[in-house]
Amino acid sequence: MKAVFLLQWRRFYRKPLLVLAMFGLTVIFVSVTAAGGQSGPQMIPVYADESMNNQQAQTWIERLNGEEQFQFELMPESEARSYVAEGDVSQAVNLLEADYRLLVGREDPARFALDSFLRRIYSEELRLENAEQTTPGIRAEMESALSDPALTLSVESLQGEEDSFQYNGQLQLLFGMTLFFVIYTIMFSLVRIVDEKRTGTWSRMIISPVRKWQMYLGHLGYSFLIGFSQITLIFLLFRFAFGFELGDRFWLLIAIAACYTFSIVALGLLIISLITKPQQLGAVIPIVATGMAMVGGAFWPIELVTNEILLAVSKALPITYGLQALTSVAVYGNGLKAVAIPLLLLLGFGSICMAIAIRLMEWRSAS
Amino acid sequence: MLETQQLTKKFKDTIAVDDVSLVLRQGESVGLLGPNGAGKSTAIAMISTLMKPSSGDVKLNGKSVLKKPGEMRRVLGVVPQKIALYEELSAYENLKFFGRLYGLSGNKLEQRIDYVLELVGLADRKKELVKNYSGGMQRRVNLAAAMMHEPEVLIMDEPTVGIDPQSRNHLLETIRKLNQDEGMTVLYTSHYMEEVEKLCDRVYIMDHGKVIAEGTKEELKAILSDQETVLIDFDQNYPELFTKLSEIEGVQQATAEEHSLKLIIPKGTRLLAALFHEAERYGAQVVNVNVQTPTLEDVFLRLTGRKLRD
Ligand SMILES: Nc1ncnc2c1ncn2[C@@H]1O[C@H](COP(=O)(O)OP(=O)(O)OP(=O)(O)O)[C@@H](O)[C@H]1O
Ligand SMILES: [Mg+2]
Repeated sequence: MKAVFLLQWRRFYRKPLLVLAMFGLTVIFVSVTAAGGQSGPQMIPVYADESMNNQQAQTWIERLNGEEQFQFELMPESEARSYVAEGDVSQAVNLLEADYRLLVGREDPARFALDSFLRRIYSEELRLENAEQTTPGIRAEMESALSDPALTLSVESLQGEEDSFQYNGQLQLLFGMTLFFVIYTIMFSLVRIVDEKRTGTWSRMIISPVRKWQMYLGHLGYSFLIGFSQITLIFLLFRFAFGFELGDRFWLLIAIAACYTFSIVALGLLIISLITKPQQLGAVIPIVATGMAMVGGAFWPIELVTNEILLAVSKALPITYGLQALTSVAVYGNGLKAVAIPLLLLLGFGSICMAIAIRLMEWRSAS
Repeated sequence: MLETQQLTKKFKDTIAVDDVSLVLRQGESVGLLGPNGAGKSTAIAMISTLMKPSSGDVKLNGKSVLKKPGEMRRVLGVVPQKIALYEELSAYENLKFFGRLYGLSGNKLEQRIDYVLELVGLADRKKELVKNYSGGMQRRVNLAAAMMHEPEVLIMDEPTVGIDPQSRNHLLETIRKLNQDEGMTVLYTSHYMEEVEKLCDRVYIMDHGKVIAEGTKEELKAILSDQETVLIDFDQNYPELFTKLSEIEGVQQATAEEHSLKLIIPKGTRLLAALFHEAERYGAQVVNVNVQTPTLEDVFLRLTGRKLRD
């Protein structure tokens, strides 16, 4: 097994291009796109019409800017419209007395975050106003109560709290691209098994004293390690060289990466047990990788997907759970307990794929 | 030391190997001859424990290897028909890996690599990548890889296909040395008769999955001992004349090649008069007439009605 494992590194040393390309693509993609986006909270132009006076509008702005997710700026309608028209920002907000409208210039994942943010603030505010009419002074009371709580309740849940979807474009991009490109690295290193069966080196190993499970283990071990190293190096690079804020539990991100890598190795093994022609694999792997990445939320947040079928499909994809767990830890600051379920799902998914794949291969070589 | 008993392999719609019983004695060099599709590679796959037979058995020193392939895998070296190497690696790296598969390491491994590289004459080019080698050099590494663990039995599946005469001679010479000087038992598969004539003591001839003849070279040729081969060269091709000649009484086998015709006839057949008579009638010029004792090629032709190579 050791010989087979070491050989794969030797082959990587002689032919590193594909893996380096996947590593490089991730880094370039994330750094360029993230640099293109603004750092700090996104600026959102805000305008009000005659239904609201300047004073009221200003109060709203203060309320909205009370949280730091977005940077709202009040301006005349014409100015806000020209911002959007010229594409400087993707959207602007039109404040109404008890409601709001979004002026959307182009699709931006942040729109959904903005929408849910506004909805939350508005409903809180409107509820407070209602309450104030029956109980004057409740706002002041509440504010003092909030600043001096009798007990704190911390909520940890898988997706974070339902209506507090936080969008962190930078990390979404980093996690999505990393988990996407690593699929190629892993699966194309597994294709070596298929190649060996074709060129005959596999037969050479079979008729040697090395056992078949050792041959598989050597290959799987390599594929796992090369994929896992790629993810880890990218996380390290972006955390330390690019200064991405990855939360306080870096080790947990690495553990998630390991579980995810395992599931993809297993899925890859299943694919090569089903499809045994290298040329066909060359077509199937990109389809699988891209398809999973799209549905599983690597290209845009899964929160944007509303189609029931796609959502159901995404529940069967390891990348969905990988992204969910990474986001949960890095963006929401959750701990191991919060991501235990996605991790178990990844490991379970991997084990099932691997069991099926090994059965299939044994059955095929016996017949 | 190694034998197969009624070895049979059925695929969906072909019987690739049919009731084949072979014996390899210690130190012997045995040829396995057969045209394309005869079942040679399939037989080798079963002997080397790569493939399970449909029926029959393979025995090493009297013990079946089907249930316990371990001993066979240790003593057997197989040179596959296709070049089975990591072409992005160097010859040295390939050999190192195949040596490690057999548990070699350290100094012993390095020494063995040096030895087999010397054997196949590639010691000075061991650092080059296999993909940059010529076909003949790749074949030599292909052989070297099977030699790493000092096998007691070496099975070669058409090791000289598609290589230049120089590499081929080198390879044949190497195999002869291994067999004669080091006492290695060799099973040599080919459809080049000359190679088998040169290398092997004993020969099995296979066709359509069956062994159709076996024996020493002399024994096999004795099948045709009361016959002789007449090779006639003409100035050009005369299809009708060739047909006519092959119908002369007594001719047992006729093969036409571009400008020449080969006839197998019983000894003492009076052929020449008829030959010149017919040639005259067709206006053909006889350039050369050559009477030979039969070769293994002729034996094969006689047994199967086919030539070894298409
Ligand atoms: N895996 C397989 N499945 C189905 N048929 C096979 C398989 N392997 C070989 N055969 C068939 O078995 C027969 C013998 O093949 P084999 O490769 O053993 O011949 P060979 O003597 O080695 O020929 P060659 O000189 O061309 O190498 C052929 O008809 C071939 O088509
Ligand atoms: Mg063959």
